[in-house]
Amino acid sequence: MSARLREAYGASPLHLLAHLAALALSAFALLQILGTRTATTIVVWLVASAVLHDLVLLPFYGALDRLAMRAAGRAINYVRVPALISGLLLLVFYPAISGKGNGAFHGVSGLDYEGYVARWLLASAALFVLSGAVYLLRGSRS
Amino acid sequence: MTLPGPFLPGFWRSPLRGPWLTAALGCLLLVLVAVVAVTGFLSHAAYEPDLGHNAIVDPGADLPLVFDWPTRPTFLYAVTQGLHVNVGLVAIPFLLAKLWSVIPRLFAWPPVVSPAQAIERLSLALLVGGAVFEFVTGVMNIQYWYAFGFNFVVAHYYGAIVFVAALAVHVTVKTPVALRAFRERGVWRPLRDDLAHTRPEPGDEHGGLVAPAPSEPTITRRGLLATVFAGSAALLLANAGETIGGPLRRVAILAPRRQVIGSGPNDFQVNKSAVAAGVTAAMIGAGYRLTLRGGPREVTLSREQLLALPQRAARLPIACVEGWTTTQEWTGVPLADLARQAGVARPRGAFVRSLQPRGVLNQVTLNAGQVADPDALLALRVNGADLSPDHGFPARIIVPDLPGVHNTKWVAAIDFGAPS
Repeated sequence: MSARLREAYGASPLHLLAHLAALALSAFALLQILGTRTATTIVVWLVASAVLHDLVLLPFYGALDRLAMRAAGRAINYVRVPALISGLLLLVFYPAISGKGNGAFHGVSGLDYEGYVARWLLASAALFVLSGAVYLLRGSRS
Repeated sequence: MTLPGPFLPGFWRSPLRGPWLTAALGCLLLVLVAVVAVTGFLSHAAYEPDLGHNAIVDPGADLPLVFDWPTRPTFLYAVTQGLHVNVGLVAIPFLLAKLWSVIPRLFAWPPVVSPAQAIERLSLALLVGGAVFEFVTGVMNIQYWYAFGFNFVVAHYYGAIVFVAALAVHVTVKTPVALRAFRERGVWRPLRDDLAHTRPEPGDEHGGLVAPAPSEPTITRRGLLATVFAGSAALLLANAGETIGGPLRRVAILAPRRQVIGSGPNDFQVNKSAVAAGVTAAMIGAGYRLTLRGGPREVTLSREQLLALPQRAARLPIACVEGWTTTQEWTGVPLADLARQAGVARPRGAFVRSLQPRGVLNQVTLNAGQVADPDALLALRVNGADLSPDHGFPARIIVPDLPGVHNTKWVAAIDFGAPS
C-alpha cells in the first residue's frame, strides 16, 4: 500500500501529510484574510511579492551585475560589493530616503525625514571610496 | 515548441549555485527567521488581545497563542521587539541570497512531474510570497509608508502564519537534502576554496541547482557569504541605534526614529502628538479630572490631588512595535494605589480610557499582573518635569514591558472592575 502510494504520489506518505498540514494552516490564515474588507488588496500584494521579486528584482540586479562585469572586468568585486550594499540600503530604507513615508510620519510625530537622501549618498560614497582604497592597496602589493 | 531562455538548463550559469550553497544560506536564514517569527508572535501576545478591546486581529479567528504578558524584566519588550525589527532587517540580505541561489528551480521544465512535486511547488509559492510579503510590509510599516491600503497588523499577522506554516514544511522536507550536502561537501570546506578552486558542486542530478554550463567564477563562495554578511551589518548599523539609544542613535544614519529632538526633559520621541490625536488644550486644562471606576462609587481626582498622593519614580523604556526605544525616568502614582483609591482591593485588571477622541488605540485593558506591578504608574512627570502635552499631560500610563502604544496618554478614566 505504502509502496503504491509512493509510486503514484512521488514521495513518502510523510511528505504528503506534512504538506497537507501546512496547507491547512495556510488556508486558515488566508480564509481570515478573505474575511476582511481589504481581502483583494492583501491577496494581490501576497502574489505580487513573489512575482515582483522573482521576475523583476532578481533579473534587474542580474542585468546590472552583467553590465558591471563588462565595465569592471577582473575588478568586478570592488564595484559589486559596495554597489550591492548601497543598493540594499536604498531598497530597505526607500520609504524614508524617498520621503514616501514622510506624510504619515509627520502627521503622527510632527517630525520629518530630513537628510536621508544626503546620508544615503554619503554612505554610498564612503563605501566606494573604501573599496577603491582596498583595490589600490592590494594592487600595489601584487 | 522552443522554451524561452530561463527554462533552458544552460541559461543559469553561476558556478556557485548548488546544494551546499543553498543549504548554508538556508541554515543561516532559518536561525534569523526563527528569531523574527518567535519575537513576532511574542509581540502579538504582548498586546494581550484576549482582554477588553485590545484585539486588532479578531480574537474569534486567532490562534490560541496568547498568555499573560509579564512585567519583568522591564526591558523584555524592548528586547523582543528590538530583535524582531533589527534581526528582520539583518535577514533581508540572506533572504535575497537564498532566493537567488534557488532561482533556476522556479523555471524547472517540465514544471510538474508528480503529485508530490505539485503540492511542494504550491507550498513553495506560499513560502516565497509569504516571506517577501512579510518583509515588505514590515519594512514599509516601520517607515510609515502605508501605501498598501490594508490593516498592517491583520495582514502582517496572518501573512506570518502562512509564511511560518510553509517554512515549517520546507524545513522538514529539505533538512535531509541539506544534511546530505554538508556530508558530501563538508560544512566548512567549500569556504576554503580560493577563486582558482571555486568549481561547480559535483553531483546534483535531481537538484537542478548546479549549472550544467557554468561560466568562470568571479567570486568565491566565502566572498559571496561575506558580502551577504556585510550587507546585513550595514542594515543593522544603519538602524539599530534607534533601538539601543545613546550615541548609537547618531550612527543609525537611516533609522526612521533617529531624530534627536533636544536636551530638555520632554525631548524624546513622540509616537503620536497631541495635535495628531485630536487632544486640545481645553481637554487637558484646569478642568481636567481623572475618573476611577470599579469600586463602590466613582472617584474623581484633579491633577493636584494626584500629585498630593505618594509618588513613585521608575526608569522604564517605551518600546514601540516599530522597533525604536526610549528610556526615561517617570514619576507618578502606582496603579495599585489608584485601585485602592477607587475602593478595589484586588483588581483583576484595568480598563484605561484616553481623552483622545478617535483611534483604536485610545484605550487599553491591562492584566492583573500589570496593574499590581509596583512600577506600573499613572505618570505625571518625566525626568523631573511635568509631562508635555505630546507625552500625555496631565497623566499617562507607563507599565513595564507594555508595548509602546498601550502606554495610554491623556488618561481620562481607569476602571479597575474591568474583566480580565
